Amino acid sequence: MDARWIRLGGGWAARRPLPVAGSAVYTRSIGSRRGFAVSIPSPSRVADSPLSGESPLSVEQPLTAERLRTCLVRVRRAVDRHAAYLTRLDAVLGDGDHGDNLSTGFRAVEELLAELPAETTPGELLRAVGHRLVATVGGASGPLYGTAFIEAGFRAGDATELDPPTVADMLVAAANGLARRGRCALGDKTILDALRPAADAFRDAVAGGATGTVAAASAVAAARAGMRATRPLVARRGLALRLGERSAGHLDPGAVSCLVILVALAGHD
Amino acid sequence: MTEPGASDSELDGLRARLAALEREYRSAFDQAQREADALFAQYQLSQLVASGGSPAELGQAVVVELVRLAGSEAGAIWLGETGRPKLALIAATGEFAAPLPGELASVQEARDLGAQRRDLRLIVLGDELPASVIALAVPGTGSLDDDGLRVAQLARHELASAFASARLREALERERHELGAVVDGATDVIVQVDEARRVVRLNPAGERTLGIEAALAIGRSCGDVLGCAVAGGHGEDHCPLAEVIATARPIAYRETAIRGAQGTPIRIAGGYSRAPSAAGGPIRATAILRDITAVRALEQLREGFVATVSHELRTPLALVRGYAETILHFELPAEEQREYVERIHGVTSRLGSLVDQILDITHLDADPLILERAPVAFAALVARLRGDLEISGDDARLVTELAADLPPIEVDIVRIGRVLENLVGNALKYAPAPSPIVIGASVDGDWLVASIDDEGVGIPEAERSLVLEPFHRAWNVRESRIPGTGLGLYICRRLVEAHGGRLSLGDRPDGRPGTRVSFNLPLAADRRRGVGRRRPTAQPASRGAARG
Repeated sequence: MDARWIRLGGGWAARRPLPVAGSAVYTRSIGSRRGFAVSIPSPSRVADSPLSGESPLSVEQPLTAERLRTCLVRVRRAVDRHAAYLTRLDAVLGDGDHGDNLSTGFRAVEELLAELPAETTPGELLRAVGHRLVATVGGASGPLYGTAFIEAGFRAGDATELDPPTVADMLVAAANGLARRGRCALGDKTILDALRPAADAFRDAVAGGATGTVAAASAVAAARAGMRATRPLVARRGLALRLGERSAGHLDPGAVSCLVILVALAGHD
Repeated sequence: MTEPGASDSELDGLRARLAALEREYRSAFDQAQREADALFAQYQLSQLVASGGSPAELGQAVVVELVRLAGSEAGAIWLGETGRPKLALIAATGEFAAPLPGELASVQEARDLGAQRRDLRLIVLGDELPASVIALAVPGTGSLDDDGLRVAQLARHELASAFASARLREALERERHELGAVVDGATDVIVQVDEARRVVRLNPAGERTLGIEAALAIGRSCGDVLGCAVAGGHGEDHCPLAEVIATARPIAYRETAIRGAQGTPIRIAGGYSRAPSAAGGPIRATAILRDITAVRALEQLREGFVATVSHELRTPLALVRGYAETILHFELPAEEQREYVERIHGVTSRLGSLVDQILDITHLDADPLILERAPVAFAALVARLRGDLEISGDDARLVTELAADLPPIEVDIVRIGRVLENLVGNALKYAPAPSPIVIGASVDGDWLVASIDDEGVGIPEAERSLVLEPFHRAWNVRESRIPGTGLGLYICRRLVEAHGGRLSLGDRPDGRPGTRVSFNLPLAADRRRGVGRRRPTAQPASRGAARG
């Protein structure tokens, strides 16, 4: 057995009593990594992207594992920079730990990147990052962001390079996964209020023939608009529920952190 | 993937096996996802439950959460009160097919409601008091999310105890608020200190009495804040708070003094206690201090009253008895007998006036003192007094220096007549005959200022304010052995003050030995203003002329 996965699984099991979910996910990961004679299809491969393969956007630099690592380190820096602000926002609506929690989580992600071998595919990378976030970020945002990264990783499959249509599918999968796990919808004043518009904007831009860079820019713009739109909303999920109507008038810290992460992933510091 | 030479049937078998494995894997994966979802839902619910808040806030949050978990569109929660079977609707969200009852008599009624209404799914969170029941609307499709319902069912006990704690917190908060109101509303100074006798609480009455804001007093030592030592209360070694902290025995009553807002000492009676009385928890000692300055003053008054009355009653009674016994036991000539009877008559008159004065005081202390005001000329009051004095022949000593055009005053004629009688009586008593008693008057603004000058022993300056208090007699008067109760001037002052005026004692303005008593009385309403402005310049001239 690969020691890394055991450690990851152990961390998961110790922190959250979800051994069944953890083991199922890892079984599949291990299976694909080891290249068993019987290839177990991952759910992400059941409905392959219609645009996979030769991409019309290949003039752009493809998204490789290496570039993804750079992006994730950038996310760590951005989260650190905004940690105090996020915590302040969370103190109003939640329990005042969002910035610190995310900061801890992405530092752990940076450590994880150093541990993962260079040949790790983008999909594997994202799944591992997701599990690390679940295991290290306190509160609800750990499982939620973790789910988003894991779902995106599933969608990436075994590809070594990700073209914009795949990235679009990954973003949509991340939003869907987060919505399912958090049982939230658009307008509930959650992370989804930034993530869903970003995913939709990216997908639409790519479908319209935009390059990855352009699509990423439109995704960030949509996420920013979505984040801003959370201010007047009355929270319908999470700890802010107990504030009822009083939750209106404040930005949702999750939507803000989601924007911070998306901006960093899109390549902006 | 397949070995060379494998037959088609073998290949089909392998494909079937592959498909079965794939199905098995997909179902395991989906199952794992669902369980992860359910566990995350449980986690979120428990986070919400642990977040506290009032029962209504918690109820609202939990209902919204459970509605989402169960895939419903509307939900409501009824919550019981501690120790009562009745449940009240505290929160609801969404639209129900039919209205929900605002109250449920018991958990059984909730169960009955669930049996009657097909559109509702009821979850009894807890049967024990306080009970709580959640209703979720069953959507038109007729089904709720089983996973969500399972999560809600699993969290039943946690939810019930969260509501019980919320109720308890609410009750505690209300109690704390009520106790705080008692302490804040108390008129006594309430000060609480910690083990090191540093102030931890001072109520508003304490802030007012001590002239210090609670925020500034907190953290300082009690001796510093209360100023017991500088006010002459007690030294550091005899601090009652230190005593209760050390012994844990409450002190029900102890008199001492504290420093008031103006730096003046305030006599106080304190009750002191320590909490907790036994071990456990931080030690707090509480002092409840009542200002007893007024009580002490009243006691002094009572003592003065008892002393004066006993002296003033006993002396004449002894005389009466002596005279009466003399008449009874000795065969005296009629002339001598008559003399004794006359003495008895004189003494009983004095007793009569003492009783009158005491009655006057009783009336003065009635609140409010009702005056029967009527316009009258000051000169008429003086003339009536002169008539009364004719019997004793003292009228000869009375000199009136009153201008003919003095405006009328508006006073209670009987009571101001009594003031004049008392003041002139004093002057006659303490000034040797046949020295004159001069009554003067002038106008100052809306007031008539009357003065009575005598050539008596005078009142020592230090005693002037004191003799206006009840039962107080100046030392030189006490030494003169002239009988008196110490009530006359007090009664006069109170009656003048009841008219809005002031009474004061001073030296004669002409520098001769003796006393001037002056007091002002209100002019009749229609004569105020204008008249007074004309008079002041004329006033010294007229008096000077009269004296000259």
